[in-house]
Amino acid sequence: MSTVTTPAGERAARTAAAPQPTRRARRHLIGTDTFFNGFSHVFLLVWAVLVVYPMVWAALSSFKDDAQIIREPLSLIPHSLHWDNFARAWTKGGLGSFFVNTVLVVGGGVFCTMLLGSMAAYVLARYEFFGNRFIYYTFLAGLPVPIYLAAVPLYVGTFKAPGQIADFFGRIPVVGSSIGSFIGPYLGPNSRVMLILVYVAWSLSFTVFFMHSFFRTLPTTIAEAALVDGASHSRLFFGVMLPMARPGLISIGIFNVIGQWNQWYLPYLLMQPSGGEEKKQVIAQGLINLSVNQGYKSDWSGMFAGITLAMLPVLVVYLVFQRQVQAGLTASITK
Amino acid sequence: MNAPLPGTRPQAANIPLQRARPEATGIRLEQVSKRFRGGVLAVDRVDLDVRPGEFVVLVGPSGCGKSTLLRMIAGLEAVSGGRIWLGDQDVTSRLPQERDVAMVFQSYALYPRMTVRRNLGFGLRMRHTGRPERNRRVAEVAEVLGLEHLLDRRPAALSGGQRQRVAMGRAIVREPKAFLMDEPLSNLDAKLRVSMRAQLSRLHQRLGTTTVYVTHDQVEAMTLGQRVAVLRDGVLQQCDTPQHLFRHPVNLFVAAFIGSPSMNFVAASVSGGAAHFADLRVPLPAGSSLATADRQVILGIRPTGFGVAESNGWPTLRAVPDVVEELGDERNLIIDINAPRVDTDATRAAVAARTADDALLLPEEKARFTVRVPGDHPVSIGEPLDLAVNPERLYFFDPETGQTLR
Repeated sequence: MSTVTTPAGERAARTAAAPQPTRRARRHLIGTDTFFNGFSHVFLLVWAVLVVYPMVWAALSSFKDDAQIIREPLSLIPHSLHWDNFARAWTKGGLGSFFVNTVLVVGGGVFCTMLLGSMAAYVLARYEFFGNRFIYYTFLAGLPVPIYLAAVPLYVGTFKAPGQIADFFGRIPVVGSSIGSFIGPYLGPNSRVMLILVYVAWSLSFTVFFMHSFFRTLPTTIAEAALVDGASHSRLFFGVMLPMARPGLISIGIFNVIGQWNQWYLPYLLMQPSGGEEKKQVIAQGLINLSVNQGYKSDWSGMFAGITLAMLPVLVVYLVFQRQVQAGLTASITK
Repeated sequence: MNAPLPGTRPQAANIPLQRARPEATGIRLEQVSKRFRGGVLAVDRVDLDVRPGEFVVLVGPSGCGKSTLLRMIAGLEAVSGGRIWLGDQDVTSRLPQERDVAMVFQSYALYPRMTVRRNLGFGLRMRHTGRPERNRRVAEVAEVLGLEHLLDRRPAALSGGQRQRVAMGRAIVREPKAFLMDEPLSNLDAKLRVSMRAQLSRLHQRLGTTTVYVTHDQVEAMTLGQRVAVLRDGVLQQCDTPQHLFRHPVNLFVAAFIGSPSMNFVAASVSGGAAHFADLRVPLPAGSSLATADRQVILGIRPTGFGVAESNGWPTLRAVPDVVEELGDERNLIIDINAPRVDTDATRAAVAARTADDALLLPEEKARFTVRVPGDHPVSIGEPLDLAVNPERLYFFDPETGQTLR
């Protein structure tokens, strides 16, 4: 089909007539661009050195012996590799039990945070119901609250919990007191379950905030297709929407792992034995103990080995999932 | 009135026809309305009866409520008023999961984390169909749609046409009571769209499942639908066979919307058994109810309602083509008419949904006609020619109400 139209060359002529930047102006623009490029590269290089150097220094110092650490504190290359430093940190420093405690608490904490956080975020993002915004803003309200503000209520609540639970269940005849005395210790001080619950409450705000915006970017027609196909709401969430949210889940999962792994204040506050039982410390507390104990013994190499061991899991997790973390962070921008 | 239709239903030549499934279910809408929060009335008391095994197309310009109506049938949108029946069951308040209908979306809505095989089998899995039966039906549908070699791919690794076929397959494999299709071809390129249209038509003839199909493309509506329902501003204007819709539109909007290029309109008067416009007197067809009338009307003529002036006694109109569109066998001529242009809400709404060349004709004060003439007739821009008006192919509309005057 041919139609009589306006000559096509007109646009080209208009383009040609448009004012072009002069050569001098162009050179000036290029020069400015190069300057800022170079400046930003130098800035990023300095930043990278500031971040990476202490880590590399600590990691390499863990292979040195104490004499070299004292004599050449700034050197990077160990004279010989002292693997025994790691064995000493693991056994004498008690790092093994700290690791187990941390893995259990962080594993449980991250799993529950992700499960509850993504479920809450999905419902708040995709279903309209009375009070939806209120609940969402309540979650958001937790974001700016520093953990120190919750220290006193958490401390008091945790230490009072076993007694209150025993009182509550004690009202139930026959089995009540047994139930109370069974549950109470799990929610009291120096309990991994209690710490997991506190971690979950602490991490939910950001998880719900992040996943809420992620779920809003997912197409609604896919959920509708699944509903028409006969999926229940729970099946739709676990079978269709959650797999689609994988990049977001991985990103927020890494944040939670790092945040909970490095958490020191909450365990320091709450993991205190009320009786004479063994203290269930996590890795951050353990490292402080290690620095004090090994410091008294002048076992600097053991201390650096402990720090390196504590860093490794988070570093490995980040390196493995690095690509997904970036994808998750940019997902809402590119969609 | 023996002009060719704008499109004909493709024949399913090589596929053995199957009778309509005995369990095919009809869909009945009774006074169905939808009012969105904020008070917008998207669908206004629509009555529609889709017979078992029938292919009905809902067509209309953007925002006319056709997709909302389809989503209400699927259960994805709550009904504000009226009732929806699937067979003899009132499904108005049932969840989408409980309606046993399948829907094909414009965006295909394939599950991105599942392979084609799992996409096809998802609905069966949700209905707890056993694995052997599931595999058998998925394989069967994959063969019918030519998807066997794609079963282990994910949707991201498929082309647009392949995704469209998977979406169709996902609907077919469940053997639902009805198919609901929301512009399933609009994301395909023009050539693929024509081929998929033919495939869809064949599939319907083969399966005999009740189908409600939404499109804004009237050519698609006319070629696919056994009946076509035209909607405007949430109100059902007319539901009829494509032939009847084309030949007997009930109002100005339907007349303007159906047919490509669209019908030409001009302000005219009727008196003494003839219509008068642009210094032309066209005798009314025999038996016309307007024979004794003396009134103003809107006169409509299809582009195919003109002929090259011969000795057939038809009144002739001298015109100078401004634009000549070559179509090969035929030509579209665009000519100015010395009469005021018809500019009503109905024509504006119909033309706004159409192609750019129709919109091009709007800003002029004078009426502009599109005339279709045979390709072998010598025509050139600026050269006057005589066009004969076929009195049998005139349509008359009330200028106030837009209703057809018969």
